[in-house]
Amino acid sequence: MGSTEHTSKQFETDLDTTRTRVLQMGGLVEAQILAAIEAFATGEAKLADQVIENDARVNGYEVAIDGACNHIVVKRQPAASDLRLIMAIAKIVTDIERIGDEAKKVARMSKRLHEHGPQHAQRFSAIRHTAQIAVKMLRQALDAFARLDAASAAGVLKEDSEIDHEFRGAVRQLVTYMMEDPRTISPALDILWVAKAIERMGDHSKNIAEQVIYIVRGTDVRHTSFADIEREMGAQ
Amino acid sequence: MTAALIVLSLLAALLALALVHHRRQLGRLRRWAAQPRMSDPPEAPGDWGEAFDLLHRHRRANLKRRRQLAQLIVRSRRAAQALPYGVTVLDAELRLDWCNDSARQHFDLHPERDRGAPIVNFVRHPDFVAYLAAREFSEPLRLQVSGSSPRTLALQLVAFDEDAWLLLSQDITGAERIEAMRRDFVANVSHELRTPLTVLSGFLDTIQDLKLEPQRVRDYVNLMAPQAARMRRLIDDLLVLSALEHAPPPPEERIALGPLLERLRSETEQLSNGRHRIALAIEGEHDLRGAENELASAFLNLASNAVRYTPAGGEIRFAWRATGAGGEFTVEDTGIGIEAEHLPRLTERFYRVDRGRSRDTGGTGLGLAIVKHALARHQAVLEIASTPGKGSVFRVRFPAARLLPATQKVPG
Repeated sequence: MGSTEHTSKQFETDLDTTRTRVLQMGGLVEAQILAAIEAFATGEAKLADQVIENDARVNGYEVAIDGACNHIVVKRQPAASDLRLIMAIAKIVTDIERIGDEAKKVARMSKRLHEHGPQHAQRFSAIRHTAQIAVKMLRQALDAFARLDAASAAGVLKEDSEIDHEFRGAVRQLVTYMMEDPRTISPALDILWVAKAIERMGDHSKNIAEQVIYIVRGTDVRHTSFADIEREMGAQ
Repeated sequence: MTAALIVLSLLAALLALALVHHRRQLGRLRRWAAQPRMSDPPEAPGDWGEAFDLLHRHRRANLKRRRQLAQLIVRSRRAAQALPYGVTVLDAELRLDWCNDSARQHFDLHPERDRGAPIVNFVRHPDFVAYLAAREFSEPLRLQVSGSSPRTLALQLVAFDEDAWLLLSQDITGAERIEAMRRDFVANVSHELRTPLTVLSGFLDTIQDLKLEPQRVRDYVNLMAPQAARMRRLIDDLLVLSALEHAPPPPEERIALGPLLERLRSETEQLSNGRHRIALAIEGEHDLRGAENELASAFLNLASNAVRYTPAGGEIRFAWRATGAGGEFTVEDTGIGIEAEHLPRLTERFYRVDRGRSRDTGGTGLGLAIVKHALARHQAVLEIASTPGKGSVFRVRFPAARLLPATQKVPG
């Protein structure tokens, strides 16, 4: 009895530590997005370089957390609900890492864009706004994961349609610029890639939120399939 | 024998009575002691009574101490709650124990629900994580958080017990903004002064180094004069601004709007030199209370802007409208207008819509900042509306408290 109690306590600690690390990784990626967008808006090459450099730290987190997950699975052989949590963590980490990649992409694109010379700031305002929504989605998804709060995670899913809407708006705006002045086509295309990267960030945050719902609902309603949970959440 | 028997049985009866009495008192004591907080100890005569009284006194003292302690706890919580700082109590493993409302806002925490979870689960910024990991808390950490509203926080971790930490947080967003404004201002002033100075010293070097004909020297001096004038204008404006900033509240002079606006019109006509149509309309009979020279120069500033940015053939309209609810002075022009994105920043020092153009027309970049300051001293606000290509409206609103009923009919 004592030994199993000890084991389960140790297991809890391992899980908590892993969860905190996932959240720290998320915090780092959040800072990466903000820095990348700042570099994009201001053309500060040093900031962009920093984002590109820091992506290695994000990848480092991913490798370490994946290792920890494998370790827990092998050593503790978690049962159904705990296994689900571990699996969800592994997926969440992949999504966070992808968001990090998108931030790096934005940083790279900003450098290229501003090498062509100074850009008109008003062209960025729509992108900046979209990026703010993306950061908010990620933060909300991570908060939901920290608190295992399915309702707040469901809120993230709603935000995603807003970001898609903003993305389409940005595209329309860019098309107008390109039609007005064909010389802006090359920078406008670069900006379009940035917009696309931000839109992808929103998708990944949505995935994270879905995993949180999966963890919470999955442990509460053990024999419901994922599709059912999705349907259930969608019905709310 | 019988006497002895009687005494004995009497004694026995007495003893039995005493025994019954003591057992009863003991029973009462036991019943009371089972829940001593609920009621006072029982009362009784004699020794029992004395003992009960002692207990009674103990209980009273105890209750009082408990109340005081409870009050102390409530008061210290309230004190922590009332602090303008965010106060977060963390355990030895830096898990959340308690936090006040400021901290809750700073970090978007839910004190009840998040209790017992590591603080880094919610404050995830890499700088904060690194600060905790470094275990070096002598210096505060400056952290930009992007919670429900972005802000800059100064954080400091303080050990306050063997196994607890206090995380103090302070919102320094406003202070940072002021600091940034001050830095920008110094940089801007230096830049604005250096530009004409560079031109001046360039000419001086040329005149010194080269043997030039007197006519060329005169040409150069003529080119230098406007640069010197520009520097003087800039310094004058800076002094005005600084004087407005540090001056005591404006004097409470009665200002008759009629003559003031008439003067404004004729001065504007001089500036315009016949290139614009200039109109003036006055409605309502109210005078203003304040410093006449400050308001006159603020109005003239707006008027000269209108002249400067309205192409020849355009129209400039001044209007003063006063009702019981307040006064309103407007300068409306049919000029080039201002893009909407510039409007909120127009009164910032050295903010320019188009750098080259405003300097060509002799602006220092401080005009509207001075206007705004002078108006603020009269509790008046400046509102700007503009359509690019169509024209702008600069509207000055005075509160009713600044108006005085006119003593005599203003001569039109």
